[in-house]
Amino acid sequence: MSRSTLTRMRGVPRALTLTVVAGALLAVLPWLLSDFMLSLALSCLMFAALAVSWSMFCGPTHYLSLATSAFFGLGAYVTAWGLESMPYGLTVLAGGLVGAAFAALIGVAVLHLRGAYFAVITFGLTELVLHSITYVEKTMFETAGRIISDAPENAVIYWTVLGITVLAVATAILVRASRLGFALAGIGGDEERAQTLGVNARRAKVLAFSLSAFFPGALGAAMAVRWTYIEPMSVFNPFIGFQTVLIAMVGGAQTLLGPIVSSVFFSLLTEFLRLRFPYAFLLVLGILLVVLVLYLPGGLASLFVRRARPHA
Amino acid sequence: MGFWLELAASGLITGGIYAVVAIGLNLQYGLMRIMNISHGEFLMLGAYLTWLAHTTLKINPIVLLPGVAVTLFLVGMVVYRLCFRRISRSAPTVEVIEARSLLVGFGLMFFVQNAVYLAWGADLRGYSFMAEPVDIAGARFMANRLLVFGVAVAASLGLLAVLRWTMIGKAVRAMMQSPTGAQLVGIDTSTLHPVVFGAGLALAGVAGGLLSMVYEISPSMGEPYTVTALIVITLGGLGSAIGSLLGGFLLGLVEAFGMHFTNPSLKMVLSYGVLVAVLIARPKGLFAR
Repeated sequence: MSRSTLTRMRGVPRALTLTVVAGALLAVLPWLLSDFMLSLALSCLMFAALAVSWSMFCGPTHYLSLATSAFFGLGAYVTAWGLESMPYGLTVLAGGLVGAAFAALIGVAVLHLRGAYFAVITFGLTELVLHSITYVEKTMFETAGRIISDAPENAVIYWTVLGITVLAVATAILVRASRLGFALAGIGGDEERAQTLGVNARRAKVLAFSLSAFFPGALGAAMAVRWTYIEPMSVFNPFIGFQTVLIAMVGGAQTLLGPIVSSVFFSLLTEFLRLRFPYAFLLVLGILLVVLVLYLPGGLASLFVRRARPHA
Repeated sequence: MGFWLELAASGLITGGIYAVVAIGLNLQYGLMRIMNISHGEFLMLGAYLTWLAHTTLKINPIVLLPGVAVTLFLVGMVVYRLCFRRISRSAPTVEVIEARSLLVGFGLMFFVQNAVYLAWGADLRGYSFMAEPVDIAGARFMANRLLVFGVAVAASLGLLAVLRWTMIGKAVRAMMQSPTGAQLVGIDTSTLHPVVFGAGLALAGVAGGLLSMVYEISPSMGEPYTVTALIVITLGGLGSAIGSLLGGFLLGLVEAFGMHFTNPSLKMVLSYGVLVAVLIARPKGLFAR
């Protein structure tokens, strides 16, 4: 192992150990919590995994992807179409792979666009997939949605989502310390300079974008069984993508811990207030968002890591 | 013959509305790099203002339009002062301005939409205005739609004329070409930015007022127009007002004819298909040289 690799890997074993320990501790929750609390924990985990995987690519490169809902919805439809012929675990894996494959495909086509263009086209592609699937379902299968029968137990779903979350965090830790992570940070700083210094920017971007899409795909496949009825409007809901971006950026997309903390914060806030005061809740959320962006632009994480190493 | 005329006209009428909404958003983006995702919410606000004033005070909605425009212009100045000024001043790069303004836009979207939900509820509202048919060249149109088309085109052309021939228009174009250069020759950002932001919202408000004459209105009516405006802007090119005008008409026609030749449930697939195709093939817009 060369010396630079050693410096890069410093702190990684500890972070990985912590992640696995936290995962093991969280794994006992199904025996301790009521059904309601467990579904709350599930939603925290889901958004944590979504936000961490989003930040994996979009954090260092400063791309603004709104395609999370597309990967999530495709994963959910893999379950809807495949659950009868495949075991649950396999549909989750397949969902992730479909998400990653789709991301690689659109990545090759659109990752040369930057800034607002990229945000708009990822949003447009999500809607395109949504409406195409609606159309295919309607004309070929003559159905608007699908009913999912023989769903696994809640605890099984919880462990699956927990597994995906731990895997997402571990992957994020490894990517940050790898050559790929450094290439991404270089691309975010100045793409042309990074290329001059020998980074294959296109390959790095497509690879990382595709890798980061595995997790929303797998989560979509895992979470699909939670809803007994699946329709394109609910699983491709652009709100899933928006909320992921909000959580990641409010937490601080450059950091690893920020998105995790803010996903717990947002999920709890949403679950407790949304049902009781739906309009007033979103109204306050709107104000909160504006104030956070204006006065805490680095995200919640910037409150804690201000004095840390500059590149962390 | 009459049928094709009606089809083309219905495409152009929706296209006219798309153009008005998109020009406002495009000016904001082109000048300040503010991707105002809450643009459609201000269109909805304009529609509610028109509906409210018309149903309570019994004023002709056409007379109300200038009032709606002025109100939303002022709202725009305040929103700019409260939310976006700080972003354009403190952000280090253009990309950061885009990302942060997008997030603030989401916040404003939640805020405005849910404030209207709280005030007037989720019901569809509407009133009937000039809903009688008119025959032109063997084709039949509703009078209110022709009016909407006329006002939309007049508003768009008026704005283009302002940009082309007035001092402030020249300043805006200079600022779009080169922000630093424009500041060097004495163009004042701190007045130009709020004015253009307000003008964008005023256009959205007028579009909303026009829509309330034709369709029923609801608090969630704005979002689809934001999305359509983004598509139109991409077609016409970011920052180009005339591109947005042509792009709006083009999208209206594509939707009208596309739905006729395929089927209505493909409308959204068509719009987004056009968007994706244009972004991949000509990312600078159809009319870019």
